Amino acid sequence: MNLSLNFRVIGETLPDFLTGLTATVTISLAAFVGALIVGVIACAMSLQTSRYLRAPAVAYIDVIRATPLLAQLYFLYFGLPSFGLMMPEIMVGVIALSLNSGAYVSEIVRSGILAIPRGQVEAGAASGMSYLQQMRLIILPQALRTMVSPLIGQAIVLVKDSSLLSLISVLELTRAGQTLAINRFMPVEGLVTTAVCYLIIYYGLKLMAHAWGRFDQVGAKR
Amino acid sequence: MNETLAFLLEQIKSVIEFHPVILKGLGMTILVSLIGIVAGGLAGFALGIGRASSYKTLSFLIGAYTDIFRGTPVLVQLFVVFFILPQAGIELDSFSAGAIALSNITACFVSEIVASGLKAVPVGQLEAALSSGLTRLQRLRLIALPQATRLIVPSLAGQFVLLVKDSSVVSAIGLLDLTRSGWIVVQSIPNGLLVFSVVGLGYFLVCYPILNWSRALEKKH
Amino acid sequence: MIKFSGLDKWYGDHHVLRNIDLNVAKGEVVVVCGPSGSGKSTLIRCVNGLEQYQGGSLVVDGMPVDSGSPLRQLRMELGFVFQQFNLYPHKTALENVTLAPIHVRKLPRHEAIERGEALLRKVGLVDKFNAYPAQLSGGQQQRVAIARSLCMQPKIMLFDEPTSALDPEMINEVLDVMVALAKDGMTMIVVTHEMGFARKVADRVVFMDKGSIVEVSEPETFFNAPKNERTREFLSKILRH
Repeated sequence: MNLSLNFRVIGETLPDFLTGLTATVTISLAAFVGALIVGVIACAMSLQTSRYLRAPAVAYIDVIRATPLLAQLYFLYFGLPSFGLMMPEIMVGVIALSLNSGAYVSEIVRSGILAIPRGQVEAGAASGMSYLQQMRLIILPQALRTMVSPLIGQAIVLVKDSSLLSLISVLELTRAGQTLAINRFMPVEGLVTTAVCYLIIYYGLKLMAHAWGRFDQVGAKR
Repeated sequence: MNETLAFLLEQIKSVIEFHPVILKGLGMTILVSLIGIVAGGLAGFALGIGRASSYKTLSFLIGAYTDIFRGTPVLVQLFVVFFILPQAGIELDSFSAGAIALSNITACFVSEIVASGLKAVPVGQLEAALSSGLTRLQRLRLIALPQATRLIVPSLAGQFVLLVKDSSVVSAIGLLDLTRSGWIVVQSIPNGLLVFSVVGLGYFLVCYPILNWSRALEKKH
Repeated sequence: MIKFSGLDKWYGDHHVLRNIDLNVAKGEVVVVCGPSGSGKSTLIRCVNGLEQYQGGSLVVDGMPVDSGSPLRQLRMELGFVFQQFNLYPHKTALENVTLAPIHVRKLPRHEAIERGEALLRKVGLVDKFNAYPAQLSGGQQQRVAIARSLCMQPKIMLFDEPTSALDPEMINEVLDVMVALAKDGMTMIVVTHEMGFARKVADRVVFMDKGSIVEVSEPETFFNAPKNERTREFLSKILRH
């Protein structure tokens, strides 16, 4: 097997890869923000006492968690046009990713909030705080600290998930690699470069997680 | 309104007529997932033991290997297996490629689960075992594994669900799994919502019970 | 039986054990005491190879203890009791006691059980054979740990602060077992703060500070007329109670 990489070809197609890489990063960022919004709303709904607010949120989370992202993506890709909603594939992709990750973000937020000892909330209530004040002053500041690490983990998942958008013709990183692999018959160069790009993002995010971990420790010692 | 309803019913009937394809797809999804969890589980178990061992080089090498696969998309890995291995002389059909790629990534995730479980066993017990002359293998078999298992099993159930969901990528190399069956049906019945709701239902029926079981297991600890 | 000659150990830059010279004869009971960080735990952990040393030599029961030696053989003859008991939580008291004899000494199951039950009876746990560690008090767990070590029929018993993790009311039940063991003629090295125990059964008391052995004397001399200033200081601090 010829293991040497044709770096010249990689060099030639690097602009395409960079375009793909930028697209992947943009998509992931947009979807992450979307996921945060969806997740917080879903979590808030799931914590309500009213069944009419809780049930849809719980149903949404359970369905997302028990079905593959690809099926959800195709559901929207093939399904949205029936509502007359024609939009660029990239938008469908970002929506699908946001809805998918949103369910997991919701669980992360939920764990973060439920991890705060009940006693602190009671102390707040005892000093006359409203529910919103308890949230703002006691629960959220602490919950947010515990959420950062799992959220970075979800970001990593999101970046990997974004590769599925290549299957609905979105021009992102995996598609760039496929182009090199199929159009120019160089699967090794194409896929290896793709893998390396993803790993760069992966290790970058992992570094962020480490840095946060150390920052968090310092705070705890105070 | 009546017209759209009648049309919808027509479509539902058409979808039902496609049930052989859909069931075949479901069967393939389950088959390839079972292969993945068994092969991947066993390999991952062995890798995890190596990863948690005190042989630093081995642990590092296994860690580096599993990290690469945990840091890249399954789709890309699948393409690597399907498109690159033939260059090394290994011709693979989409089923084998799918099974290999899924087993590999499962092994990588399971190895981390097993390694964490083993590392969670308190050091003191291993020192006590060491002090009474037990060999490395005996310490693993009699002390570390029985306790690590309690932590590992709930995570494994969750891993199976992830595998079933990840298995949907094999549709990208033409393997007739549940997702691909939906893709095929939607070409004839252009109602994406309907067709992929059925597909989703298929996955849901497999995954939801296991998810609940996994949650119940986790609650026990 | 145990001979430290000029033993040196470093943790990175930290000189944990400095030029240790100590002989322990067969049947002797040696108590090692000293402030935290004096190296006393590290010293006793060197005896069965849980810690490695860089300089000097250590010979136990005729066998040199270093990175090359067959430590497993040696460990069969050494019993080690930990401050944190370290019982196996997924095994009953009896299973804890018989595990090593069955798998290391290859003792037949029924023999191991017989021996194990006798030992558990001896340490006062006759009705706890099938109890799990979680169901036992600290003092009971430590006694099981002692029985576990004794079941291997070791030549030497090593104790690393065996009562430091126990509530006060349980300390005596463990010390009583150790006193009985000493009176039976077992060679023992005990790292402890329990001076009452030292006075009762120790043949010699070793005081360590900052990695060196400061003073070694018989209990009477040690407690009534300590030779070294640092020893006096240490004793005044801990004997106030």
